[in-house]
Amino acid sequence: MTGPGGSLHLRSLCKRYGSYPAVDSVDLQIERGEFLTLLGPSGSGKTTLLMMIAGFQDITSGDILLDGTSIANTPAEKRNFGMVFQGYALFPHMTVKDNIAYPLSVRKRPKAEIAARVAEMLDLVRLTPFAKRFPKELSGGQQQRVALARALCFAPPVLLLDEPLGALDKKLRIEVQAQLKDIHQRVGTTFVYVTHDQEEALSMSDRIVIMQNGRIEQVGTPSDLYQQPKTAFAASFLGKSNFLRRDGAVFALRPEKIDLAPAGAGQGANKVSGAVQSVTYFGAVLKYQVAVPGMDPIEVDVDAWRGGAALPEGARVDLTWSETAAVRLTDQTL
Amino acid sequence: MHDKQFMRETLLQGAQAFQAGKMGRRSFLALCGMAGFASTSVLAGRAEAAASEIVMWNWGGQSEECHQSAIGVPFTKATGVPLKFDTSGPLQGKIKDMVDSGHVTADVCDADLFDAVALGKTGHLEPIDYSVVDKTKTVDGYALEFGISIILYGYAFMYDTQAYPNGAPTGWADFFDTAKFPGTRSLYKWANGSLEAALMADGVEKDKLYPLDIDRAIKKISAIKADSIYWGSGSEAHDMIVNGEVSMGMVWQNRGRSIETDTNGRFKLVMNQALAMPGAYIVPKGNPGGAAAQTFIATAQSVQSQLDLFTCLGMTPTNPEAIAKMAEGDQPYSITSAANMPLIALNDPTWWGENTDAAVNAFLAAIS
Amino acid sequence: MRLPIQSGWLLVLPFLLLVGGLFLGPILNILWLSVTDPTPGLGNYAQLVTSDTLGRILWTTIRVCVICTVFSVLFGYSIAYAMVHAAGPTQSRMLSLLLVSFWISVLVRTFSWLMLLGRNGVVNSGLEALGIISQPIPFMRNELGVLIGMIHYMVPYAVLPILASMQSIDGRVVQASRSLGATGAQTLWRVYLPLTRAGVVAASLLVFIINLGFYVIPAVLGGGKVLMVAEYISVQVLVTLQWGTAAMLAALLLFGVLTLLFIMSRFMKLSTVFGGART
Repeated sequence: MTGPGGSLHLRSLCKRYGSYPAVDSVDLQIERGEFLTLLGPSGSGKTTLLMMIAGFQDITSGDILLDGTSIANTPAEKRNFGMVFQGYALFPHMTVKDNIAYPLSVRKRPKAEIAARVAEMLDLVRLTPFAKRFPKELSGGQQQRVALARALCFAPPVLLLDEPLGALDKKLRIEVQAQLKDIHQRVGTTFVYVTHDQEEALSMSDRIVIMQNGRIEQVGTPSDLYQQPKTAFAASFLGKSNFLRRDGAVFALRPEKIDLAPAGAGQGANKVSGAVQSVTYFGAVLKYQVAVPGMDPIEVDVDAWRGGAALPEGARVDLTWSETAAVRLTDQTL
Repeated sequence: MHDKQFMRETLLQGAQAFQAGKMGRRSFLALCGMAGFASTSVLAGRAEAAASEIVMWNWGGQSEECHQSAIGVPFTKATGVPLKFDTSGPLQGKIKDMVDSGHVTADVCDADLFDAVALGKTGHLEPIDYSVVDKTKTVDGYALEFGISIILYGYAFMYDTQAYPNGAPTGWADFFDTAKFPGTRSLYKWANGSLEAALMADGVEKDKLYPLDIDRAIKKISAIKADSIYWGSGSEAHDMIVNGEVSMGMVWQNRGRSIETDTNGRFKLVMNQALAMPGAYIVPKGNPGGAAAQTFIATAQSVQSQLDLFTCLGMTPTNPEAIAKMAEGDQPYSITSAANMPLIALNDPTWWGENTDAAVNAFLAAIS
Repeated sequence: MRLPIQSGWLLVLPFLLLVGGLFLGPILNILWLSVTDPTPGLGNYAQLVTSDTLGRILWTTIRVCVICTVFSVLFGYSIAYAMVHAAGPTQSRMLSLLLVSFWISVLVRTFSWLMLLGRNGVVNSGLEALGIISQPIPFMRNELGVLIGMIHYMVPYAVLPILASMQSIDGRVVQASRSLGATGAQTLWRVYLPLTRAGVVAASLLVFIINLGFYVIPAVLGGGKVLMVAEYISVQVLVTLQWGTAAMLAALLLFGVLTLLFIMSRFMKLSTVFGGART
């Protein structure tokens, strides 16, 4: 549907405000057609990084390469990157059609080509009946789709998305995530997506970059990151983790990877015993909080359909897990 | 009338002068019916005017002091009635508005004699009581039914001696001859004086000016329009000359003396064919002070008051006895002095009182 | 059922009547005067057709006002743009300077221009001393002088409404335009200008209407040759006592301004122009 996506290479990219590093020596290779998510809490530098890629933020040092060519000194309007902004930044004085046509009309393309392309994009985001409306006459989700169509209309090699779903309610967000993923697959453009929402990151991305304090904490596929977090920050920011100290090292242990059994029933090398502190019913799972002497309380998820009736508070239990379930982290302490 | 601006300008130097603009507008607001607010707040403080005092309506500044010391002091001494001031400037339109509103707060206006003609005709003025005021103590023909001339001022022109080293201009004919005397000219922009000057330049005898041939005057003025600029206040006229914007400029004659002095004679005043203008005292219809206003006017005619006013303000006396007593050095600058009298033309207030609208509008049409 | 008369209106009713009376009274008085003085009828209005002078004065007024409005808004737009894009402290310094300029009296400005650009002013003597010109350039005492003086006076008035409309623009919209490939000029022309249109219209109206009433600047800097309606009205009221003509011209100005507002209201909501709620 559009040209092939572009590959981006970020080399030792830095952005400093005075002595404060907003982005600190970031090295990253983004593959052609990839859906890459920059995930991190606010202040982690993810948006600054995106704005540097877009050309709206100058870089202190380092380089950005598009398909092997440096674009560090190319102004934003010449980079040809599509961008979907937080809050969409639609042109309020233009109709949906004119918004989408804008990137082509500023490039002075022939009218017929523009009309055809706009129709195609309207169809892609399923907004054809709304072509003549103004942005303020659309719902949040519809506006978001207009922004997407506008940013993709000129077939950019890279699409940058800055928390595009932030303004939507949860139900709609899940729906739009699916649409976004679908559109990504159909257009083949490289997507660089910024969010602080771990579920969004997990459900859409080919790879996720977890950022903290301007640095890359860890890069990997969603399952890599989830199964093999390298740091306590990665383990706790993406999903939940219990942290155990063993043999001078720190291990992360996901709550759903622990087996819970009444005291004496637990088998295996990795076993601790404790008492149920609290139990909460979540429909699919029961979440136990278990007090273990000499350790932080351990969280355990048990599939509700499997476990029968919940154990009462104060009940003595054994916790066990397989050898591979506990992941050794690089952190020496917590 | 607007020529009264001259007096104010004489007194308020520089920027202050242009309050003319503000006043005009404010007074127009009065017309708009804001009268109860804006206009009375201007005419102001004098609402309590009663027979126990005389309120003089003049242009403020130095003239307030001068009128008080030259006329007010002897008047109060003789009658026990104090003299107070409204300094907002008695333009014809304002006097008319005050009388029409039925709220008269002034007794004597420091105005022009043609105001007496125009406003007398429309019933806005009290007649002068010639049993109290002396007809003979003014210039012949300047004691009218509704007003009497107390002082004189006039229109003359000045030239830049450096612009004309080989022969100075001597009269209005030279002023209007831009071929013989190249350079920019300045004229008064509300017609008065400018029309007379143009006619004298065109060869009309100075004692046969009236009734003015407006068309002929306008033609002469239009001929040098490209080389002319026009002033609306005395300080503007002063600046145009002193700043070198013009090489010949019309001025209010009494300003000429100070310009000559200030510039060490670089700019010279030409009194030949100057036009004498009668400044007059007039009394608004239904003035609060009643007959005391007439006594006040009579006081202003006294030789001492007239001479004091000349010293204080530079206005030429009208009382022949006072003219005769003027110091030798003052004579060339006194428009009615024996030496100047044969050279000058005398303004006809009756013609102006009856034809101001036609003359001013024809002039404005020509210069704008 | 009782009519829902809102008690709030009753409370302000006396003031409404007072204000209404104080505004309507004078306006009616003007209209009345314009058809009764000096004789009843439409004679004063007929002058508009029959008098060349009035036609010329009106034409001068409109010409000067339009030119002044165009340049004031142009300069005002540039200044507002610079202010919006300046850093916080610079922006507030600029705003203070702008507001301070409101306090400089029109008389001081007028004389300053004469000193600066007059025949023997700083600029002319400087250029002559440098040998660039042999004759002084006539900046002042003509229509150019009036325009310079008026534009200088009006620029701050133009800045404020434009500044307000620029400040309400979401900066991301401008970034969006750039990211979509628009050049600076295209962004300005197709996004920035349309989004600040309300501010531009408000500034133009404000400047034009204030210009119509200008008096001192044309009178002094025009050297008497640039006669505009306001000064002419004043002369007719104070000097020639033709109050009917003056009232007619005042009524004409009033209706001119109202017509302008009406035409503008056909194109856009006046409340948005004057900073009301945007809906």
